[in-house]
Amino acid sequence: MSRKFIEIEGQHWVEQGIISPDQHQRLLALYPEQQRAIGLLPLLGSLLVGLSALSLVAANWQDLPELLRLGLLIGSMVGAYLGGEHFLQRGFRSMGIGLVALGLILFGAGIVLTSQMYQLVGYDVTGLLAWVVAGVVLTFIYQSHFLFILAVAIGVLAQGYSVGSLSSYSYASALLMAGGLGYYWWRRPDALCGAILATGLLWQSALLINHLHIKITWFFVPAMLVYAAGDWQPNRPAARALQAPPLVAAFLFMLGLGMFGEAGSYTDQLRPHFVGFVGALLLVFGLSVAGKHARGHLSSAADWLLLLPGYYFPGGLPLAVAALVVLYAYTGSVLYRGFQEQAADRVNLGTALFILTTMVAYFKLTWEFMDKSLFFLLGGLLLLGLSWYLRRRARSIPPSNPPTP
Amino acid sequence: MKLVPTLFLSGAADKHRRWVALAVAAQVLFILLVAGAGSAISSYGRAVVLRTSPVDPRDLLYGDYVTLNYDVSQLPRPLWRGSEAPRRHRPVYVELRPTSAGYYEAVAVYPAEPASLPADHVALRGWIVNVWRQGLQLRYGLERYYVPEGEGRKLERRAGRQPLLVHVSVAPWDQSRITRVEIAPKPAERP
Repeated sequence: MSRKFIEIEGQHWVEQGIISPDQHQRLLALYPEQQRAIGLLPLLGSLLVGLSALSLVAANWQDLPELLRLGLLIGSMVGAYLGGEHFLQRGFRSMGIGLVALGLILFGAGIVLTSQMYQLVGYDVTGLLAWVVAGVVLTFIYQSHFLFILAVAIGVLAQGYSVGSLSSYSYASALLMAGGLGYYWWRRPDALCGAILATGLLWQSALLINHLHIKITWFFVPAMLVYAAGDWQPNRPAARALQAPPLVAAFLFMLGLGMFGEAGSYTDQLRPHFVGFVGALLLVFGLSVAGKHARGHLSSAADWLLLLPGYYFPGGLPLAVAALVVLYAYTGSVLYRGFQEQAADRVNLGTALFILTTMVAYFKLTWEFMDKSLFFLLGGLLLLGLSWYLRRRARSIPPSNPPTP
Repeated sequence: MKLVPTLFLSGAADKHRRWVALAVAAQVLFILLVAGAGSAISSYGRAVVLRTSPVDPRDLLYGDYVTLNYDVSQLPRPLWRGSEAPRRHRPVYVELRPTSAGYYEAVAVYPAEPASLPADHVALRGWIVNVWRQGLQLRYGLERYYVPEGEGRKLERRAGRQPLLVHVSVAPWDQSRITRVEIAPKPAERP
C-alpha cells in the first residue's frame, strides 16, 4: 500500500473517528518515505548536457590538435567522475550517480573517438569490451540500479556490434554480463534489474545461436538456464522478474507454433539433434526443479509445459494442435495457481493468456470451415462469454492480496 | 579535485574512494593506451601504399567514413601458400611487394607469419572473409577511413571512378593503420 494513500485516506478515517490521530501516525510510520530509486530529472539533465557538449566539440573536432582532443576526452570523463563523487559525498545520490553514468558514457565515447582519430577502428571488440568492464566495475563500486541497467545496455550494444559488424561473437562480453552483473543481481536481487538482466542475457543467447548457425530452438537452453537461476534465488519478486522474459519468449514461440506450425515447411529448422538437445534441456529442467524444490515452490514447475518440444511432431495440423494443447495446459496452470494462491495478478495474467490462446485456437481451427460473418459472430460471442466468466471468477478473490511468496 | 589527496589516506571510509580512483585511473590509462598504440604504429611501422579498386562514388561515403575496397582485398587462389585449404575467419599474412606504379601488390598469402622476406617486401595481416574456387576475399581492418569533416564529399567528388592510394603504416607487431588517403593520378598523367 502506498504511503500517499494512507496520508490522504487516513485523514478521512481520523475525521470519521475510525482511527485516532495517533494510530494514523503509527500507520504512516510503517511506510517510511521512500527515496526514489531513480531520480529521472537529474539523469535526463546530465544526458542532455553531455549531448550538447558532444555536438559542440564534434562540430569543431577535426580542427583541434590531437593532444587537445585527447585532453578534452579524458578531462571531461575525469571531470564527470569527480563531479559524481562530489555530489555523492554531499548526499545527492541521483545527481551523483547521473554524473558517474555520464563519465561512463564519456569513457565509451573516448574509446571510439580516440580510435577514429588514429584510424584504429579495425575489426576488434577490445575497446567495447573495456567499456563493458568499466560498466560492471562501476556497478559494483556504486551499487546503483541505474549503473546496472546502463552496464546491461553497454553489454547489449557491444555484443550487437561484435556480431553485426565484426561477425564474431564476444564470449567475454557475454560472460561479463552473466557472471559479473548476474552475480551482482544475485547478491542484491531487484525486480526491475532482474527483468532487464534477463532480457540482456536473452539477447546474448539469441546472438550466440545466430552466430553458431544452429537450430533456433537451442535458444531455449540458455534462456531456461536464466529461468533456472531464478528458481534458486530466495527473493521471490526479484526472481519472478528474472524469469518473466524467458517465459514470455517460450510462450510467444509456442503461440507461433500454434499459428504457423501448420505450414510445416520450416519445422525442419526447429529440430536439433534429438538426444543432445533434449538431454541439455532436461539437464536445465533438473536444475530448475531442484531449485524449486529447495525454495519450496514446486507448483511453478508447470511453467516448463511451454518447453515441451512439440516441434518433433510432423509439421501440419498435428503440430498446431499439439502447440495449442500445450498453451491451454499452461494457461490453465497459471489460472489454477492463481486461484489456489488467491493471487489476483496471476489470475488476471492467466485470463489474458487464456483468451489469447482461445483466439488463436479458434482462428486456427475454424477460419477455413466457416462462413466469415458466422466466424466473427461466434468468435466474438465465445470471447465475450469467456471473459465474463473468468472475470467473475477473478472477482471472487480479494483484489489487493499480496502475492504469496 | 578532492579525489587525489584522499588517495593517500587510510580507513574504511576511504576504501570506496580508492576503488573509484583506481577505476577512473584505469579508464584514463586505457584511452592513453589506445592513443599510444595509434601513434606508435605510425612511428615504428613501415609505410605501404595500397590501391583501392575503382569505387562507385555513390557508395563511397557512408556516414563519416568511406568504405575502401583494395586491390588486395580479392586475391587469386594460386597465391595461397598454406598446406591446408584456406578457411573463413582464419588470420593470414599477405606478402606485399612495391611496384613501379607507386603502390604495393600481393605476392603470396601465408597462414602464418613468413619467417624471412626480401628487404623491400612487407607482410600485412588480414583475415579470410570468403573462399571460393578461384580466389580469396580478405579484410585487413583497413576498410574504413574516418574522413575529416567535409573532406568526404570532396574526396567523393574528385575521386569519381578513379582508384585511391591509401597510405598505411604496418607495425612490427602486426597492427596497421591508415595514415593518409590520396587520389591516384590518372594513367594519362603518368610519365
